[in-house]
This record gives sequence, structure tokens and C-alpha cells, in this order.
Amino acid sequence: MNIAVFIKASLNLNLIKVESSGIINTEETPLTISEYDKNALEEGIRIKEKLGGKVAIFSALTYGPITKRQADYERIIREALAMGADEAHIILDEKLINATTFEASLALAHLTKKVGMFDIYITGEASMDTSSYQFPSRLSSLLNIPVVTFVRKTDIQGKDILLYRDLEEEIQIIKAKLPVIISVTGEINQPRLPTLKQILQSKTKPIFKYNLTDIDIPKINLGREIKILPVSRKNIFIEGKNLEEVSEKLIDYLFKEGVVKL
Amino acid sequence: MSGIIVFSSKIKYINDALPLAYLLKEKEEIIGVSCYEKNLEEIANNGFDVFYYSETEILNDQWYEILINIANEIKPKYLIAPSSKDNIEILARIASKLGYPMVTDVSNLEKTNDTLIFHKPVLGGRATAIFKIQKDINLAITVPLRKFKYEAISTKAKILKIEKIPVSQFQIIGKEEKKKSAVKIEEADIVIGVGRGFKAKEDLKLAFDLAEVLNAQVGCSRPIAADYKWLPDDVWIGISNKSIRPKLYIAVGISGAPQHVSSVTDSKVIVAINNDKNAPIFKYADYCIVADLYQFLPILTEKLRKFKKS
Ligand SMILES: Cc1cc2nc3c(=O)[nH]c(=O)nc-3n(C[C@H](O)[C@H](O)[C@H](O)COP(=O)(O)OP(=O)(O)OC[C@H]3O[C@@H](n4cnc5c(N)ncnc54)[C@H](O)[C@@H]3O)c2cc1C
Repeated sequence: MNIAVFIKASLNLNLIKVESSGIINTEETPLTISEYDKNALEEGIRIKEKLGGKVAIFSALTYGPITKRQADYERIIREALAMGADEAHIILDEKLINATTFEASLALAHLTKKVGMFDIYITGEASMDTSSYQFPSRLSSLLNIPVVTFVRKTDIQGKDILLYRDLEEEIQIIKAKLPVIISVTGEINQPRLPTLKQILQSKTKPIFKYNLTDIDIPKINLGREIKILPVSRKNIFIEGKNLEEVSEKLIDYLFKEGVVKL
Repeated sequence: MSGIIVFSSKIKYINDALPLAYLLKEKEEIIGVSCYEKNLEEIANNGFDVFYYSETEILNDQWYEILINIANEIKPKYLIAPSSKDNIEILARIASKLGYPMVTDVSNLEKTNDTLIFHKPVLGGRATAIFKIQKDINLAITVPLRKFKYEAISTKAKILKIEKIPVSQFQIIGKEEKKKSAVKIEEADIVIGVGRGFKAKEDLKLAFDLAEVLNAQVGCSRPIAADYKWLPDDVWIGISNKSIRPKLYIAVGISGAPQHVSSVTDSKVIVAINNDKNAPIFKYADYCIVADLYQFLPILTEKLRKFKKS
């Protein structure tokens, strides 16, 4: 089984740097593997462990500046390799800095085609920073391979694959033929933590680096700014000599706010 | 005449996309695409100029082929859909095929003479991304379910049945309906949100007891519904499910991840109960209680009961 997994280096939501204007300073905010992409990778590794084959990681850096980011980015890719992927193919190119899913999918579809054919292509349901949800569908249209999104369980049976889609009101069970592109939900599995040995081994696994000299990416000029939403809450910590007193104080506040009627 | 395609694979969501279509409309026709329902004519005449329908519910790849055919004919300026999971999958595929950029989950739109400014929640809802796009660019857009209120506009729609349904590459071999709760969490005045601070399903009784005295409803974080299945999915609160705006939200054993908190920020008052004084939820709360929920909830419930009696 030849498995391709797509990993986004996302802004780390816990370490967001904000300017006084409320605009997020993306250059100063560290990166991390997007949460549900770990589930995508875990699923790829589990399929490999069951059926044999290879897991290749694909990724494109979309936050700059490249010179400053490269080490941090490679650390993330190594972390993914340590979980159990076999090799990584990554794009480092100024043209993709601040790219949206539109450009990133073009570049990654092109690279995937160049590297080879895969039986299954796996992504997370959405990235945790920009959450456009478009990547798997765009990949499908560019590679001309069917797509099935929001999968919370997979079951490969020969050339067929059963996919359990987690939709608003139902679980839909779909039978598809390989090759297929799937996006997985955060509930599909529990991503493993790599062992120390795996972390050391990951250093010997290959990371192939590419730029875009041979791909023409149209520029769509989406001016984008990210602004943090102000929170203004009272933040009153209620204390007391025991929990009875704390309860009474809380009830008192809630009555004064007029939000409870008994 | 050029058009705006408003699409939804499930017809019950389609009106959620119309307000944005009308905000964007200049001279374009509004072209609806969805599947059949008894009151199709009424829906079509409530804002659509043309309405294409499929007689039965069909799969996403079939919709894709159909929409590509319609789009090739109409050359739509905009493709708009409510953000259901199926619609996003289908629309993004079409956007890619047609070479359109796409903005998902648009929460606000401003227009200037030559630009459109879209707002979209990002970073789990903690922040807003502001996209400025030249008006002459064709676009695909999805809007959150139930986000914009629709004031019906009366039209006389040309209703057309989609005759040629392409063959799907997939086969549906089963369907499990999700459990529904008896309540609508988004309509409750008081909501108690439960999170992974609860160690077992039975322990949720502590929250339900409190809910009973307060006449509140119980909602939850994503793992409690999606992962553990302790509560039905329709009470899961957060960007990937429901937004609520009650008078009072009480978060119990919830850490305060942006994907959860961003969907409760319109609550009038927020109370957080968590045993970790550094839990992020406290930043988003008016009243903060650092305590073990197992000790605190029974005491709070008991006090409220006494108040109620007296
Ligand atoms: C794309 C994406 C979409 C997502 N969508 C959603 C969504 O729609 N809704 C959502 O909720 N999440 C969503 N998430 C997940 C989110 O990031 C968090 O993982 C999730 O909200 C955490 O749930 P929790 O607060 O219940 O659990 P935890 O983060 O594990 O928090 C449990 C809390 O309970 C406290 N606690 C433990 N024991 C006790 C005790 N005895 N007494 C009191 N407090 C205690 C702990 O201190 C901790 O703060 C999404 C994530 C991504 C990446």
C-alpha cells in the first residue's frame, strides 16, 4: 500500500504573538503540526502496519520568512517521520509564503504527481489555523482522484475501501475503490507519541526538498490580515473559606446579573 | 445574463446561503441547485430566479458533475453554499476545477466600490481573517449554517428538473442516523457545558442535577460527544458544530480551547469551573471558580435547591 499523507505546519495556537493593534504577528508565532493532520498520519501508519507498504509525507511551508523558519519547519517534519512515516517531500519557496489553500493545493498536487502514484491520500479534516476545509477537494480535482471527506473509520478490503463519514445528522458508510483521497476527523484514532528510539531513527530518514521553479502558480492576490478578537470578561475569581461560601457568592452574582430565576 | 449559483445538497439548508447571495447580487440571476422536496415551488419562489432540482438525494461526486455542467453554461460570478460538510466538499472541488478561490465560513461581508472584504473566523475562532478581494474575481463562498437571517424575497422561479444524473464512483452501503436530543441547545437560556473534566458518563449526572434546578440544558465539548459518545452530537458546542448565545453559560471541566470558546462568546454571562487555575477558560469567563467539579457541583446544586424552596 502506497500511502501519501499531507501535513500542514500551522501556527501554534497556544503561542500566538499579537501586536498592540490586535493584528497577529505571524512571523513571530511558532509553528506546529496541525492537530488533525496527526490523525491523518496515524491512520496512514496504521494502514501500513496492517497491509505493508510505505508512508510518504507531503508538506509546503506557507509561513515565512523561510530563512528564519526552515529549522523549525524541519523539526516538525522530523517529528512526523518519528511517528512512523518513511520519507518526506517538502516545498520551500517564497511564492508559497502566505499562500491560501488555492495555491498550496496546486503546488502539492503537482509535487505528488511528480513523486509517484499512491493508493490512498490522507489529510486532516481541516487545518487548525486557517480551517478552509478545501484541501482534500482541491487535491481531488487536480489529481482527478475521487475524494471522501470527514472519515472517522476506514476499512480496506482488497481493492475496495469502506469509509465511515461523520456528517451532521448521520454516519454514512461509503464503499470506494482505491485510489482515493480521504480527509479524517480528529476522532478516527489516537495519534501515537514517538519513542526516543524512533526520534533518533527519524534523523536517518530522507527529507526531499523542492522549490517551484517548474510549477507555475497563478497569483490570486487575496489580501489577508488576521486580527485577534478582543475578549472582555469580568474575570472575577470567586474565593471563600469553603465551597459553601463560594457557592453562595456565585449565586449572589448570578442573581445580580439577572441571569437566573428560581 | 451572468448568475450566482446557490447550492445545497440538502434543500433544508439552502436558505442559509441566500442572504449573502443578495448582498453580493448586482444584476445577476440567482440560480438555485438542490434536491426535491414537497414544497420545492414555495422555496424556489422565495428568492430564486431559476431552480434546478434532482428528484432524489444523490452523492457528492454526482453533484460535482452536475454543477460543473451548470457552471460551464452559466459562468457564475459566485458559487455560494451553506457550510454543511457535504456542501464544502463539493464546492471546493468545483472551485478548484473552475480556478476560483474560495472563502469558507464567511461571517461578514463589506463592499467598497471595487473590493469585497470578507471576514472569516480562523485560529479556532479566536481571530478573524480579513480577506480583501477585487470585485472582478469570481469566487466560491460558504456561509455557516443558521448564521444569516433570511428575509424572504418573492420571485417567480423557473423550475427545472435535472434530467441526466451521472453515475457515482461510490456506493452507499449503510447509514446510521445519529441520536437526537429532545432539546435545542441553541435556544436554551441557560446552558451547562461539560468537558473532559468528567471522568465517566455516569458522572454527568452532577451536571444534569444542576441543570434541573436551574432549568438549564446540558451541552458539551467535542470529545464528550464525538469521541466518547456520552451525549448526542447535536449538543456539541464549537466551531465544528453549534454556536450558542444563552444568558448564562457554565463551563464545567472544559479547558477553553478556542474551537470551543469561540462558539459561546456571545453568551451574556460565562461561569467557568475548573480545578486548574491556569486553564485558558478563565480568560473567557466572568466568574471563575477554581475547584474540583466533583466537590463543587453537588454543593452548588444543593444551595440552589434550598433557595428555590425558600
Ligand atoms: C479543526 C478543529 C475543530 C474543533 N472543533 C471543536 C468543537 O467544535 N468543539 C470543541 O469543544 N472542541 C473542538 N475541537 C477540539 C478542541 O481543540 C479541544 O481539544 C477540546 O475542546 C477539548 O475539550 P475539553 O475542554 O472537554 O477537554 P480538555 O482540554 O481535556 O479539558 C479538560 C479540562 O477539565 C479540567 N478538569 C479535569 N479534572 C477536573 C475536575 N475534577 N474538576 C474540574 N475541572 C477538571 C482540566 O483542568 C481541563 O482544563 C476542535 C479542534 C480542531 C483542531
